[in-house]
Order: sequence, then structure tokens, then C-alpha cells
Amino acid sequence: MEILQFLILPFLASLILTGIHAYLGVHVVERGVIFVDLALAQIAALGATTAILIGMDPHGTSAYWMSLGFTFVGAGIFTFVRSRQKRIPLEAFIGITYAVASAAAIIAMSKATGETEHLKDMLVGNILAVSKHDVIKTALLYGAIGLFHFIFRKKFLAISLSHNSAEPQPEINVRLWDFLFYASFGFVVTSSVAIAGVLLVFCYLVVPSVGAMLFADRIGTRLAIGWTMGTLVSALGCYCSVFFDTPTGATIVCTFGAVLVVMAGVKAVFFRVKQEEPQPVEVRTRQVV
Amino acid sequence: MKLKSKLFSAILSATLVATLLLSSAAEAKKLKVITTLTDLAALTQEVGGDKVDVEALAKGYQDSHFVEPKPSFLLKLRNTDLLILVGLELEIGWLPPLITQSGNGKIQPGGQGYLDASQFAEILEIPQGNVTRAEGDVHPMGNPHYWLDPDNGRRIAKGIAAKLSAMDPGDQAYFQQREQDFEKRLAEADKKWMAQMAPYRGRKVVTYHRSWPNFAKHFGLDVIGYIEPRPGIPPTPSHTIELVGLMKREGVKIELIEPYFDLKTPNSIASMVGGKVVVLMPSVGGKPEITDYFKLFDYDIALLTKAFEETK
Repeated sequence: MEILQFLILPFLASLILTGIHAYLGVHVVERGVIFVDLALAQIAALGATTAILIGMDPHGTSAYWMSLGFTFVGAGIFTFVRSRQKRIPLEAFIGITYAVASAAAIIAMSKATGETEHLKDMLVGNILAVSKHDVIKTALLYGAIGLFHFIFRKKFLAISLSHNSAEPQPEINVRLWDFLFYASFGFVVTSSVAIAGVLLVFCYLVVPSVGAMLFADRIGTRLAIGWTMGTLVSALGCYCSVFFDTPTGATIVCTFGAVLVVMAGVKAVFFRVKQEEPQPVEVRTRQVV
Repeated sequence: MKLKSKLFSAILSATLVATLLLSSAAEAKKLKVITTLTDLAALTQEVGGDKVDVEALAKGYQDSHFVEPKPSFLLKLRNTDLLILVGLELEIGWLPPLITQSGNGKIQPGGQGYLDASQFAEILEIPQGNVTRAEGDVHPMGNPHYWLDPDNGRRIAKGIAAKLSAMDPGDQAYFQQREQDFEKRLAEADKKWMAQMAPYRGRKVVTYHRSWPNFAKHFGLDVIGYIEPRPGIPPTPSHTIELVGLMKREGVKIELIEPYFDLKTPNSIASMVGGKVVVLMPSVGGKPEITDYFKLFDYDIALLTKAFEETK
């Protein structure tokens, strides 16, 4: 079982990812901003490219702050756009941001001198090669952000749940909390993408949340299902990666897909009767934990 | 799902135990060698014969700059006595974290079992003086595609033989004898290759990536341009137009490219200048029939001479 010890760190890392992303995923799915992480990750990558372009060391602290700074600008854009333009779906702006940031990164790369392979690294971090230092650092960082979200959970959830309704929330400064949400989210995504790659981060964010919504409405239950699913899929994915000797990140992504299909099947077979019963009170959907 | 993972774990442990038992019984004495590229594995095999167990991480048809790490890489690195790499930052995108994560003290940079083959080879395109990034492209330590020159193949084999002898002094005579035999066979083969290429000495070519300077130098080709404006950057319109103009002025008909690059731009350039795209193999194992270092040159030179013949 020698090989299993190599998977301890990737598995721990994927547990950390599950912890924060399954939670943030609930927000993202509620808000209907599914691709916001891809857009923010791309903006972070653009920041890294820019850092290289002006001669910073791509692995240095200043490059990290640069890409974080870009992410915050992106968070600002999404906040601003949301409060200004109600008629145009936010997802459209997210798509535009993604496309423009990607293209700008390509242009910047073509002007950058050498080191472009590092950039590719940054975009497709490899969870198999995650180091102990990365795991500890990420755990502390996400712990802090998780705590922040836990303390202010009522505010964050209230905004996310009322995202599509036009009613104003008089007691909450929506713009401020929106920005804090996107900023902390961008912070997480930037770090996650650097260790796990864009595809994997996207899956950890969206799939557990969607899988949970098949079975539950209440936020608390959804979180519990999402975390369980994320943990099981991480373990199974790591295992398959060893068993078939396939790249770990990509294997976990495919495992996510397969498990989601199984869950949908289970729901179709076993839960059909339940659905025909009249839905209990709709209010429960909007309950805050 | 639980059942499935139990089944997996049962199969997995059975396989692992079986492999461990078999390998420990049969190969008690062989030196274990892992190389990054197949070419280094081929050279190690020439020198090490049946006293070494050598395996490459990358496949011969993969882009050696980007190799997707798999769990088995870590296991191989952990259990190896010697890691031989190309160096010059060729593998920088994927190898360093794997070396660290392998937990194998022997193969850490500077360790007993860490052999950077570039120290033996003649390295071209080493940037002179101050390396400013403004130069673009440059691998700051020189061009890492050095194994594509038979003279470097000989030098590397010699270096590997010395390393193997140091690690396994009992078999020193064996390694030296094999190395000399390889050198002899290589010299003969090189005579043949040089004769095949002789009619085309001094011919001008363009290449996609800067992968062929050592090859071109040895066989007397003149690389006058690159399809990539910078390494890793896809062709841009203005660069392509410039290159087409240059090729027309100089009468260049041949474009050399590796199998993993996109052929669209090279093909359209070829149709504009009435030339030919030649997909050369940069490494052993790029095609099933390229089983060793000799067959690599056999294959590439056969393609190249045919292309020169057709574009006279």
C-alpha cells in the first residue's frame, strides 16, 4: 500500500477544497453565477501574467499579490454590475469577463519573455504534486475565510437567497456584502486553482451543491449532503487515479460526473413517489440556518 | 459506492502485493533507474544492459515540456536508485514537485541518485552575457534538446556509464565494455547517416520549435527561422507572413515539426511556398518502430532525405 501514502496529501487537500467549496457552491448556485469561479480564476491568471510581463518572479510574493489584486478588481466589477444592471443577467457579464480575461492573458503571454510554461502551471495546478506546506497554508487560510463566513452567515445567505428577487434589503448594505462575498470567493479560488487546477475547482464548487439540491431544499441539509458527497468522491477519485494510473485531478473530475449521474438515477428510482406528494411548505426553501 | 471502493481496494492490494513480491525476488541486484525522457532510458539501456532496470516517465510522443503526472510516477521515483533527467529547465513544469513528493532522499537535486545529463553534452544557444528576459524565448541555461546529436548521445552514454560504475563498482568492467561497444556501433551508424545526409549539407530549413539546433549542427542543416514567434506561443499572422517572405527569398522548402504541435499553420505555409512539412520524431518511442537510439535517427533521416528529394 506504498502508493497510498502519496495520496494522503492530495486527499487532505481535496478535503479542504470540499470544505470551503461545497459551502461557497451553495451561494454560487443560489445566485445563479455558476461560472464566476472560472472568470475569477482567469482574472487571477491575467494578474499573474501581468506580473511576469513587468518582470516579477512568477512564484514570488509580489506576483501572488498582483493576481490577488486583479481578483479583487474582478470582484468589484461583479458587485458593481449586479447593482446597476438588473435586466441583463449577471452570467452574461461573467462570460464576457472570462473571455476577455483569457484573451488578454494570451496577448500578455505573447509579449512576455520566456517563462510562459509557468503560467500554464498556474492555470492547471496539479493536486497530485501538492506539498505539505501548501496543505497547511491552505487549511489555515480557508479556515479563516470559513470562520468569517460563519460569523456573518446570516448576511451572506440573505443576499444570496434574495439574489434574484428585486426586493431591497434595507437592513443590509448589499453592495458591501456582495463585494465581500466576491472578494473572499476570489481569494479562495485563486489559491485553489494554484493547487488543483481550474477544472477540479469548478467541480468542487458546483457538483456537490447540485447533487445536494436533488435531494434537499434546506441549506443545512444541502451542506451536509454536499460535504459528504465531496468527501466520498475525493476518496473514490484518488483511488481510481491509483487503480487506473490516470492523472489525479482529471480522474476526480470524472468521478464527480459519474457520481452525480448515479445520484440522479437513485433519485429517479427511489424518490419519485415522494415528489408526487404535495410539497410541504415552500417557505422552508428560504429558511436560513 | 462503498462496496465498489472495497472491491477496488481488494484488487489493488492484491496487485500491489503480487508486484512487490515478484520484483523483490527477481531483481535483487539490478540498479533501478528512472529517466524523464525515453532517449535517456534508451542510452541507459545501451550501457547498463541487464544490470539495470530502466524506465522513462514520459512517453516518446509526448511534449517533454508538459507531462501530466500520474500516481505511478511518484511510486517509480520513490523506488528508484537513480534519476536521470535532461535538465536545462526542460522538465521544470512538472518534475520538481514530483521529486520532492517522492520522499526519495537519493534523487533530490545534488543527491547521489540525481544525474543531470546536460553536464555531459555540448549545449547550444547558451545566452551570452547578461540574460535579459527581453531576449524572449531563451531557456536561460541553453537549448535542452541536445540529445538529437549522435555526438551528444555518445557523451551522455559515457557519463551514464561512469555514474553506473560509481553506483555499482562490481559491474564497472561490464558497463565500460558495453559503453565502448555502443560507441563503436554509434560511430558506424553515424557514418551511414552522414553519408545519407551528405547531398543535403548546407540546406536551409525552418523548424516549428527550437528543438533541432543540435541535430541541424551535426548534419549540416541551416535553420533560418521558426514558425513559433516565441517558444510556447502559437504563430501570429505577422510573424507567419514574415517567415513566408523569408522562405521564398531563401528558397526554403522544408519545415521540421514535432508530432505534438498543431499542423494548421505549417501546412498553410507549406502551400504558400510550395514546400513540405516533415513531422520528425524528437524521441525514442515516438513511433512503435523507434525502439532505440539508433532507430530514432534512422527514422528521422529517412523522412528528411525523402523530403529533400521531393522538394529539389
